Amino acid sequence: MATEVLADDRALRTGRRERALAQMEKHDLDVLVLGRQANVRYVSGAPQLWVAGTRPFGPTCVVIRETGAIHLLSTWDEGVPGDIPHENLYGIAWNPINTISVLKGINGAADAKRVGTDALSPGFAQLLPVAFPNAELVDGELAMRAARRIKTSEEVVSLREAIRVAEVGLAAAVAELRPGISEKSLAGVLLEAMAAGGVSTPSTQDAAWVTSREHPWRRASDDGIVRAGDLVAFSAGVLDGGYTGEVGRTWPVGELNGAGDLYRRWDALWDRLHEACQPGAPAIDLLTAYQAAGEELPPMPIARGLGLGFDPPVVSQHLPATAAEERLEPGMVLAVTGYVWQSGVGAVFGREAVLITPDGPEVLTSSPSWQA
Amino acid sequence: MTSPTSFLAEPSSALDIPETPDLDRMRRETGARLRSAMADRGVDALILLGNNSVVYATGVSWPLGDAGLSYVERPVAVVLADDPHPHLFLPFREGAASESGLPADHLHGPVYLEFDEGVENFARVLLDLIPAAALIAVDELTGAMRRAQDRLFRSGRPADAAQIVGAAKLIKTPDELACMRTACRITDTAMVDVQAALAPGIRQIDLSASFMRRAFELGAMASMLEPIWQVMPKYKADGVWTTHGDLALPLLTTERELAAGDVLWTDVSITYQGYCSDFGRTWIVGQDPTPRQQAQFHKWREILTAVLDVTQAGTTIAELGRTATKANGGARPWLPHFYLGHSIGVNAAETPMIGTDLGDEFDENFVLEPGMVMVLEPVVWEEGTGGYRSEEIVVITEEGWIPLTNYPYHPYGD
Repeated sequence: MATEVLADDRALRTGRRERALAQMEKHDLDVLVLGRQANVRYVSGAPQLWVAGTRPFGPTCVVIRETGAIHLLSTWDEGVPGDIPHENLYGIAWNPINTISVLKGINGAADAKRVGTDALSPGFAQLLPVAFPNAELVDGELAMRAARRIKTSEEVVSLREAIRVAEVGLAAAVAELRPGISEKSLAGVLLEAMAAGGVSTPSTQDAAWVTSREHPWRRASDDGIVRAGDLVAFSAGVLDGGYTGEVGRTWPVGELNGAGDLYRRWDALWDRLHEACQPGAPAIDLLTAYQAAGEELPPMPIARGLGLGFDPPVVSQHLPATAAEERLEPGMVLAVTGYVWQSGVGAVFGREAVLITPDGPEVLTSSPSWQA
Repeated sequence: MTSPTSFLAEPSSALDIPETPDLDRMRRETGARLRSAMADRGVDALILLGNNSVVYATGVSWPLGDAGLSYVERPVAVVLADDPHPHLFLPFREGAASESGLPADHLHGPVYLEFDEGVENFARVLLDLIPAAALIAVDELTGAMRRAQDRLFRSGRPADAAQIVGAAKLIKTPDELACMRTACRITDTAMVDVQAALAPGIRQIDLSASFMRRAFELGAMASMLEPIWQVMPKYKADGVWTTHGDLALPLLTTERELAAGDVLWTDVSITYQGYCSDFGRTWIVGQDPTPRQQAQFHKWREILTAVLDVTQAGTTIAELGRTATKANGGARPWLPHFYLGHSIGVNAAETPMIGTDLGDEFDENFVLEPGMVMVLEPVVWEEGTGGYRSEEIVVITEEGWIPLTNYPYHPYGD
C-alpha cells in the first residue's frame, strides 16, 4: 500500500481486460453489467471501499465489448485509472431508476443483443431491459469466471504479496497464543498486524478458534477462551490490492497427548494433496487424496481458486461432478486445505496457497508449522 | 420502499431495551415480522442468499468475510409463511456458534449456488420444502440459478425478497436494539484508545490497526467496512474531482502520515451478534480547533439539535430534512451523493435514507414509527475549515427518541 489511493498497475489492468474481452467474445456477450466487487476490480483496476459480506446486485461497472469502454460507478476519480475518463464515471444513486437512465445513455447500450450480468435480482431483472431494450439478459459470471481462473504473471506477483501480509498476521497471532486468551483477542491481534502491514481489508475475520475434541468440525469453546491442551486453528486472510491471500495453521497450547500422531497424519495427507496439484490433473484427485490418506473429507471445500475473491476450481465433497469435470492448469492458484481430526485430541487444520506451474505445484505459503 | 409492514404482535416498548439481548426471543420476533411482511405481499416462501438477509431471517451470525469468498461459501435461508422456523443451509463454521436455536430438521448442509451441480442439489431439497404452487420471492439469482429457474421457481417468476426483508427490518425489536447498543458501546470504547493515539506522524492505517485490535478484544464479531480516516481538504477546489463538484466521501485509508492540523472525518462500523454500530466524528490532529472550526461544530450541533427536537413517532423524514436545511440557513447540510441520515440494523445503512434522489415524495410518505432507528449525520462546510461531520444514532419513541451512541466531541467540545 502507498500513501495515495492508486489504480492498479497498467500491465496488471491490461492483462486482465484482455482476458475479460476475449471471454466476452467467446460467450457472445456485447455488454457485461457487473456488480460483484471482484469482477469490477478485475476489469476496472480501481480500488473500491471494502464492505464485509455479500452485496445485493447492482450495476457497478459496464463493459462494452465493441469499444472496450468501461463505465464505472464512482462519484470521484481517486484511484480510477486514466483510461476510464470522467465522462464514464457515474455517481452513487439510491433510486435505481436514475442508475438505469445512466446505463441507457451509454454508447452501445441501445443496440446490444446479449447482455451478461454477474448476478441478478428480481428488481434489476425488470429494470435492465429499459437500459438495454434490444438485448437478451444472460449469465455473465461464467465468462468472468473463465477469465479469472488463469492468472497473468502480474496477478501472481499480487497474490504473492497478499499471501505475505496474511502470513505476517498469522505469525503475530500465533505469538500471542497462551492459556486464557480469547479467540476474539487472537483475531484482534491478527487483524491489527495485517493492518499495520498496510492492509485493513480482511478476506476472513473468522481468524482463530479452539478445535473440538468431541466433534469433527464444530466449535469447541462456549466462552471463546483458549485453555492448556487445546489445538487452536488460525486462518489468516487479506484482500491486498483486491487479491485474496490466505494461510491456515494449527498450534497446540502446551503439552498435548496425541498431538504428534495427529500432525503426522496431516503431513501424510498434505503429501498426497500436494502430489495431486499437477497441471492437467482432474480436480477430483484432491478429493481422492483424502480417501487415499484414509482421512474423512471435511465439510468445507478442500480447494478453491485464489484471485480476486473466489475462482474456479471449487473442490468440495458436495460438488463431485463439478470436480470431476475440472482440470488443473498452469496459472491457477489454489488455496488447498488439509484437515484431520482425532476424537479426544482435536483437529489440525492447515491451508496452503499453491501455484500450478507447467512443472508441478509451487507452494506460495511459507509459515512455520508446529513440529512434534 | 413501501410503507412499513403491519405486525402480528405489538412489540415491547422501545424504551425497554434489555441489557443483554435474548437471542431466541429476537429470532422469534424478527421471524414473525418477516412472515407478516410476506403475508402483506401474498408471498409463501422466501429464498435468501444475501448475508445480511440470512442474518436477519435466521438469527445466526458469523464474522462476515470478503464478498468474493462469501459468494461461494455462504449460508442460505428458506423461510416459509406457515413455519415459525426458517430452514438454514450452512457451510462449515459459519453460524456454528448460534445454530442451536433451530430444530435439527431445519438445519441442512451447505449448498453451492454458484454451480449448476449445487443448484440441482438445492432444487431437489426445495421439492420437499416448497409446494409447487407457492409464490416464491428471492433476493439474488446466481447465473446457475437463472439456468435452473423452472426447477427452483415452479409457480413462475419469483418476486423480489429485498422488498419484503426491507419492510420487516424497518422496526427493530428490543433485543435487536440491545445488540446494536452493545455494538455501539464496543465501538465507542475502542475509539477512546484510537483517538488517544492520534498525533502528528501516525499513519492512517495505524489508526485502523489499533481500532481492529481493540474492537475485537472488546467483543466485536466483525468489522463491517474498512475504517475511514479521511483527511479533508481546506477548500473544495483542493479536493479530488467528483461527478457533482462537491466533496468526496468516503476516501480510502492509506499509509499516509497524518500532519498537525489535519482535519479527519472518521467512519467505522462493527457488528455484535450480526447487528451494526456506526461511528462518525471529526478530529483534528495535534491541535485545538480554530475559532472558525469551532463555529463549524456549533453549527453542526445547532442542526442536530433542531432535527432531534422534531424527531418522534409520526414525523415524516421530509420534516427532518426540512428542519436540518432551515437550521443550516437554507442549504442542505449533507453531501449530494448521501443523505441527512439513514437507518441501521444488520446492514450498516438501511432504509430510509433522508434527502436522496429517491425524491421528496418518498420522504413525505415515510412516517417514523416507534422502534425505528436513525443515524443522523449532518455535514457542515465552510471554505478554509475542513468542515465538520459527526454521527449520532437514535431510537424513535412515541414521545421523541433515545440515543444509542455516547462519545465526546473532543477536541471541539464535550
